[in-house]
Amino acid sequence: MGTDAIEVIGLTKRYGKRRGVLDLDFGIGENEVFGFLGPNGAGKTTTIRVLLGFLRPTAGRAIVMGHDSWRDAAAAHVGVAYASADPAYLGSLTAGEQLDYMARLRDLPSGAWRPVAERLELDPTVQVRKLSRGNRQKVGVVQAFMGREPLLVMDEPTSGLDPLMQREFLTLVSEARADGRTVFLSSHNLPEVERACDRVGIIREGRLVDVSTVADLQASHWRSVSLVLTEPPSPGLFDLPNVRVMSASARDVHLEVQGDVNPLLRRLATLEVRDISIATLEIEDVFLGYYEAPAPVAREEAPR
Amino acid sequence: MMTAFRLELVRGRMLVLWVGLVAMVYAGGITLFYPTILENAAQFEKLLEVYPKQLMAAFGIHGSLGDQGTFLNSYVFQFMWPLVAAILAILLATRVAADAESGFLDLPLSTRLPRLRYLASSIAGQVVAITFLGLMTIGAVMAVDLIIAPDFPTDRLILAGLHALLLGLAIAGVTTLLAVIFLDRGKAGGVAAGILILMYLLNVLAQLTPDIADVGRLSAFRYFDVRNLIDTGTYPLGDSLLYLAVAVAGWLLALWVFRRRDLAA
Repeated sequence: MGTDAIEVIGLTKRYGKRRGVLDLDFGIGENEVFGFLGPNGAGKTTTIRVLLGFLRPTAGRAIVMGHDSWRDAAAAHVGVAYASADPAYLGSLTAGEQLDYMARLRDLPSGAWRPVAERLELDPTVQVRKLSRGNRQKVGVVQAFMGREPLLVMDEPTSGLDPLMQREFLTLVSEARADGRTVFLSSHNLPEVERACDRVGIIREGRLVDVSTVADLQASHWRSVSLVLTEPPSPGLFDLPNVRVMSASARDVHLEVQGDVNPLLRRLATLEVRDISIATLEIEDVFLGYYEAPAPVAREEAPR
Repeated sequence: MMTAFRLELVRGRMLVLWVGLVAMVYAGGITLFYPTILENAAQFEKLLEVYPKQLMAAFGIHGSLGDQGTFLNSYVFQFMWPLVAAILAILLATRVAADAESGFLDLPLSTRLPRLRYLASSIAGQVVAITFLGLMTIGAVMAVDLIIAPDFPTDRLILAGLHALLLGLAIAGVTTLLAVIFLDRGKAGGVAAGILILMYLLNVLAQLTPDIADVGRLSAFRYFDVRNLIDTGTYPLGDSLLYLAVAVAGWLLALWVFRRRDLAA
């Protein structure tokens, strides 16, 4: 991954007294798939709207494809394809007409959308306003993937798609990465991010609380370990760094371990273990952990 | 920019066609009655004598309805045109606000199309649409004029159409500015309509009450009288330039505001 496709420097956006996002700093390298996670109201859409030049930063700035997102928005957009969270429609235009309109604005040939539309089983002859939410979402996804722009910015693009189409979407993301394109994917669909992304930024109450690889994110959080021992454990047996005993009744022990599990495994090797299960925390649990904790004021960015 | 402009024309075609048809049918239909009114001018004058002259003047009726200028000014230009032109101008000029509300605005503005060109396309669409409405209106009067006698002066009708067109553009210019300030179609359209209604009432009241006659100058309708133009051929150049200035100022300010404002979700 080389030059940053997106560089966000000390970005703050306030709506009067209302918080948008606060002091965001992150970069997204070329050919990276970056997930941007957070619940509704966390600041995901505000961040995207600043990146697209729809909002003027209150402080700081965002550089998109080498151009200032606010001052030089149109130039930045030459290299950007966008899918919004709730794809809008225009009057009585059919999906095909609307996609052709967008294709012309992006200097793409008429019908450039057909291959992606066929993959997503989108009927281009139906008026967009008459489509279901899921099918309207397909119009947005088709629109994002129909060109060859090096940067794809997508705001919860799969929220209305059925599981089959979500899978197709993930394939499209993989293909985009294979083609050397960069993807900025805002989502609260955590398994989707887990499967699609190289790195994840987690935003909470307008602040970026962590930027990490998906694997590191999971590793830095707690795992659940359930043991069935042949004998009750002696007191203090599991007094190990990053291990906490959640419950222990007779021979059944439930532990949680953070990060490196080797010290625990070495201790278990001294015992007669009848059964063991280690549950890797789902990213949902990782994510929820940030929300249960008090709002952090600083974070460190993981190296790309 | 041509892509955005073409879309403006395509999306507005049915609205413009229907409003144009209404204007055409009304303008043509009322013009058909001119010979009857001319024949019975004396009786009409007697009927209107019941009303105070100031009241008649307040609604644009000066002199005899049998005069070409008074007839066209009263029935076509002062009565119908401001209404249809305002409806069309408000609906078209607030479209940018409607696009922002629906989220559609994000789509073209996420491409290489700059904000200014997007709004400029919308403004160009307004000009084309209001010009089309003017042509339908004047065309209807001229078409009926081929049937009836005596003839209306074609050149003066065209000039009256130009003056009317400029009023429509002034309404569109101010409404475009309101639309980009509020980015809320209901609010922008409501404020624009409210201003027009206030101006209309102000103009009527100013003519009925000599004490506040000067306040009438604040009304756009004060400058919209083509009776003299049709009867004598004197073009109200100053009034036309005023409308043009308001239209251009409204659009330029709208472009300036739109370039700088946040487009919140």
